[in-house]
Amino acid sequence: MIRAIEDRAEQKISGFRSPADDYLEGRLNISEVLVIDPESTFYFQMDSQSMKNQGLLSGDILVIDRSLIPVEEAIVVAFVNSCFYCRRYYTRNNRPVLIGDDDEIDTTDGQILQVWGVVTSICRNTLPISLRKGKYRRVCTL
Amino acid sequence: MFALCDCNNFYASAERLFRPELNGLPLVVLSNNDGCVIARSEEAKQCGIKMGDPEFLVRDQINKYNIQVFSSNYVLYGDISERVMSNLGRWFPRIDVYSIDEAFGWLGGVSDLHHYVPEIRRSVISNTGIPISIGVAPTKTLAKLANKLAKQNNGVLVLDTPERITEAVHDFPVKNLWGVGQQYFNKLKSLGIETAGQLREMPELWLKQNMTIVGQRMWNELWGKPSISIDNTPDVRKGVSVSRSFQNYIVNPDILSEAVSMYACRLAEKLRKEKLHCSYLQVFLYTNQHREDHPQHFPSKTNKLSIAGNNTNDIVRIATQAARELYKPGIKYRKAGVISTGLIPESELQLNIFDVYDGGKKDDLSKTLDLINLAYGRGTIRMASEGYRKTWKLRHEYLSKGYTTRWKDIIKVK
Repeated sequence: MIRAIEDRAEQKISGFRSPADDYLEGRLNISEVLVIDPESTFYFQMDSQSMKNQGLLSGDILVIDRSLIPVEEAIVVAFVNSCFYCRRYYTRNNRPVLIGDDDEIDTTDGQILQVWGVVTSICRNTLPISLRKGKYRRVCTL
Repeated sequence: MFALCDCNNFYASAERLFRPELNGLPLVVLSNNDGCVIARSEEAKQCGIKMGDPEFLVRDQINKYNIQVFSSNYVLYGDISERVMSNLGRWFPRIDVYSIDEAFGWLGGVSDLHHYVPEIRRSVISNTGIPISIGVAPTKTLAKLANKLAKQNNGVLVLDTPERITEAVHDFPVKNLWGVGQQYFNKLKSLGIETAGQLREMPELWLKQNMTIVGQRMWNELWGKPSISIDNTPDVRKGVSVSRSFQNYIVNPDILSEAVSMYACRLAEKLRKEKLHCSYLQVFLYTNQHREDHPQHFPSKTNKLSIAGNNTNDIVRIATQAARELYKPGIKYRKAGVISTGLIPESELQLNIFDVYDGGKKDDLSKTLDLINLAYGRGTIRMASEGYRKTWKLRHEYLSKGYTTRWKDIIKVK
């Protein structure tokens, strides 16, 4: 991702000009790592424990990139049966199959499975409950 | 070569992107205040719903065909439109966004259009989820025409040879041509011209004698000679306005003032965003002209600002004062609006030699308001004169969520 602006406050110098002036770089921003293509990226939220053993917990924010074409084992968000699911993507007999911790969703009974996007990363609040106070209540929670 | 890229049934497609279960079902989007149909899915068109139909008139069809109804969610459409345009921009050396759902791209130096253009379409549809059609031709008018035909042709049509162009214009109804309005159409029809092909076959001399410059340009464009440049940017704005219908009639001057205060606030924000100052501020009120049993009143009042400005305090004060002066007891108001004219770019602002400009503090305050509202969402901090009850607020009963702009609205998945 291209950094749009150098994210630094302008300093008013009253004494000596800082020797670091010439060496300033934009500060790190986490979305540079999480988001590859901002124009094609959407955010959904995990609302079940169906992928718990694979590291996705309920409440995780899913970073979804629509520009990717899913391959085997990719974690995807797909729409089947009037519902959005987040599962691992496989193909069996040229048909897509979604596999979770203990369920399988396939399209043998004629339903349409539409992959909506590929999950590229997740965001999660790791604070213990006792620290989720004030402004920290909102860390990766909605 | 020009490419006209157009989103298919844009508002309907944007709603369906987050509600895939609605694919294949009829769907309409209503205008502000849920008044009229302003967008239809293909299926809704087939149910006989027309553009601009008032909601209450098509209520029976909506029930009969189980048509899905949405209020217009411009927060969503605006974001999705930006995504489409940015994605399109990656494929063209130059792009001009023509409206919320269409853009002209310039295809200079691309050799293999028949592979390149379908690739653009595939990529944009995949990245944004919005179906688009692309028409490519040597002129903008032909690109528009190609786009219309592309919708029945796998979404892409490239008119890159004289033969292909001739074939495309031959049966194309002249009334669907870009730039042909009802009046022009009537004139052409009276002359026996009903297709673009017929118009093109008229001799140039006849055109010069019978048509205006607009018609001559159109004729040139149909022959593949570019006559409308790509950078015909809209003129600098002459006026900026904010007007809305109320959910219910307003009969109380305090409530009227609250509504006008909010519109004025919005107007000041718009002016600041475009870096414009206004010299005149007009406030108008409407009653419902369709209700013959109601007393009618359509007053308006224009005030001159002593110094052109755009700070919220002054604009709101002047507008609400005018609204109170216009108000007459016993009248049921249906709509109000605030219009600013005499717009001056910030950089060309001049002070009257005898004036003492005391707006500096108010300008700083307004800038701070804008920053807070940008960071924390519109309306986080606002003038108390807007009131809290907002009983007059817009009706949007069928509003979908801010799926891409508000964290609390993002989609939950199983």
